[in-house]
Amino acid sequence: MLSHFFEQIIYGLTVGGVYALIALGYTMVYGVMKLINFAHGELFTLGAFVGFFFLVTLDLGSFWGPVLAISLTVVGVSGITALAGRLLERVAYRPLRDSDRLAAVVSALGASIFLQNLIMVVSGAKYRAFGVDLLPTTFIQFAGQSVPVARLFVFLTAVVTMLLLYVFINNTRFGLAIRAAAIDQGAARLMGVDVNKVIAVVFVIGPALGGLAGLLVGVYYGQINFDMGQLYGLKAFTAAVIGGIGNIPGAMIGGLLLGLLETLGAAYVSGAWKDALSFVALILILVIRPTGILSERVAEKL
Amino acid sequence: MLKIYSFLILAALIGLVSFSGLDQAKAVETVKIGVMAPTTGPWATEGQDMVKVVDILVEQINAKGGINGVLIDLEVGDDGGTPKTAALAAQRLVTAGVVAVVGTYGSAVTEASQDIYDEAGVVQIATGSTSIRLTEKGLERFFRTCPRDDEQGLVLANKVKALGFVKPAIVHDNTSYAKGLADETREILKSLKIADVYFDAITPGERDFAVALSKIRAQNPDVIIFTGYYPEAAMLLRQKRDLNWNVPIIGGDATNNRTLVELAGVSAAAGYYFVSPPGPSDMKSQAALDLFKVYQERHQGLPNSVWAVLAGDAFNVIVKAIGTAGVNPEGIAMYLHSGLGKYEGLSGPISFNEKGDRVGELYRLYRVDPKGQFVLQD
Repeated sequence: MLSHFFEQIIYGLTVGGVYALIALGYTMVYGVMKLINFAHGELFTLGAFVGFFFLVTLDLGSFWGPVLAISLTVVGVSGITALAGRLLERVAYRPLRDSDRLAAVVSALGASIFLQNLIMVVSGAKYRAFGVDLLPTTFIQFAGQSVPVARLFVFLTAVVTMLLLYVFINNTRFGLAIRAAAIDQGAARLMGVDVNKVIAVVFVIGPALGGLAGLLVGVYYGQINFDMGQLYGLKAFTAAVIGGIGNIPGAMIGGLLLGLLETLGAAYVSGAWKDALSFVALILILVIRPTGILSERVAEKL
Repeated sequence: MLKIYSFLILAALIGLVSFSGLDQAKAVETVKIGVMAPTTGPWATEGQDMVKVVDILVEQINAKGGINGVLIDLEVGDDGGTPKTAALAAQRLVTAGVVAVVGTYGSAVTEASQDIYDEAGVVQIATGSTSIRLTEKGLERFFRTCPRDDEQGLVLANKVKALGFVKPAIVHDNTSYAKGLADETREILKSLKIADVYFDAITPGERDFAVALSKIRAQNPDVIIFTGYYPEAAMLLRQKRDLNWNVPIIGGDATNNRTLVELAGVSAAAGYYFVSPPGPSDMKSQAALDLFKVYQERHQGLPNSVWAVLAGDAFNVIVKAIGTAGVNPEGIAMYLHSGLGKYEGLSGPISFNEKGDRVGELYRLYRVDPKGQFVLQD
């Protein structure tokens, strides 16, 4: 019974780790721009397809061996999705920065539909399969339990990436600028922060993380298609809201929590009702803490 | 001054339009036939294949001079795989003046368009919508070239029994199709004295079904019946393999898609059973072989699934009916109900009963062999 429970926790953490990675993109953009980037789910899909292109279409692994191929793919995926995010900001959001917030939301929705269909037109509507078993299918023993290595890999990748981001945001000068712009753009500008640059960087890091999550999902589950970003985007957005949108550690906690809620709901209540259950939990959390678990504007000293 | 000019331009435009309209009408007589298919959205592969098949058929018929000299003008409406978009697509096709419509794939999607076509007096032949209630409404101009879920449920339950399984776990995905089929199969299994040990849903579009699998495993079933679609079936197969669990899975016709093997990987897919109308590679009629020859040249490979071929069948019977009854929906419907006899379709003989359902058992049992091929079992 206990081992069954432990298994569910492992499943929950892998699912949640992916949600958290995507949620970071939503939350970073919201923090600085007060805009929900609905096209973020599509950047996630883009990451999966770019990864597919490198690992399957070009088959880099057979030229350079797995380690070099995967490192190159990681660089390629984060680079290309970051570029796409940057372009998205220039085309869809910057022209609307001074206009009504609703206009930007509509623009975000439009960008999402456009990107999704663009991916479909370029790559086809067919589901794509990464060759089977890019990750090992073995188990390791941990605390008397057998843990699938691949799941551990997914979870650790997500956690390490998030920790790097956390350190960057909290311990570098540029991280300070991002936090300042998130609190008050005008004041930050008066203090000499280049807000345009901050927004540009946010639109590089967020999409790159989303793209990496896409790559991770593609490599682990082995199956990608052009509208996969819709469901993952929705779930990750929910995670960002649970954690407190705009708050970076909040997105991480929200993602892991949502993953755990879903798996435990499916395991102990009913698979058919698991999404309903997690959204009930979302509502409860929002009733108790309307701004999410770690609310956005904690009194903060920079 | 400006007003006068714009008035003149407007008048000229109206003149142009009406004259060109006249010209066209004189030059060639055409009949508009619609295809409503999910060419975007989650089922875009199916939808695009449907259109590809019908496109080839239209070309072939028009090259031979059309239906008794009347050329076919194909209108494609994208239903996006959602009821909402389907209603818009149906309205667009009706406004375009189609006399009959081929499509569509999803049951809920078809349902959203049924009344629109019925009120406009258009004949509709669904090609992948197997939900029972679609033909229980008494719509006189609605038909389908695919079988119904109750037939599929019956075949599925019988095959489970025939294969000697006694403790099935049933998994669906909460869509009206998969839930319907799961309920149906469960009832029939009960009447065969086989009780399921597990009955629950997974969420389509998700990738991780390890939780569901571990929960099913705790009930120790001897077979898993999955009534959903192929992407999820592939994930179940693959993740079941990762658990080193070799319980067989048997699925329904929505898993009859060759992409399944690619997605699951050959080793995980091997041994998977499903019931389905025969897939494109098992269709041996001359008409089908002729169609596939052109299709293969143009699109590299066969259609991915049977549903696209059933769209071809729907189109062919419409053409046949127009050829006999003329361009009039009442006549077409009447002919399809009673005059068709045993029409040799791409997927075998076609005739419709009074409800508009296709008559005759179409389902077969398939199994994926160790090389990843779909092999007909009986």
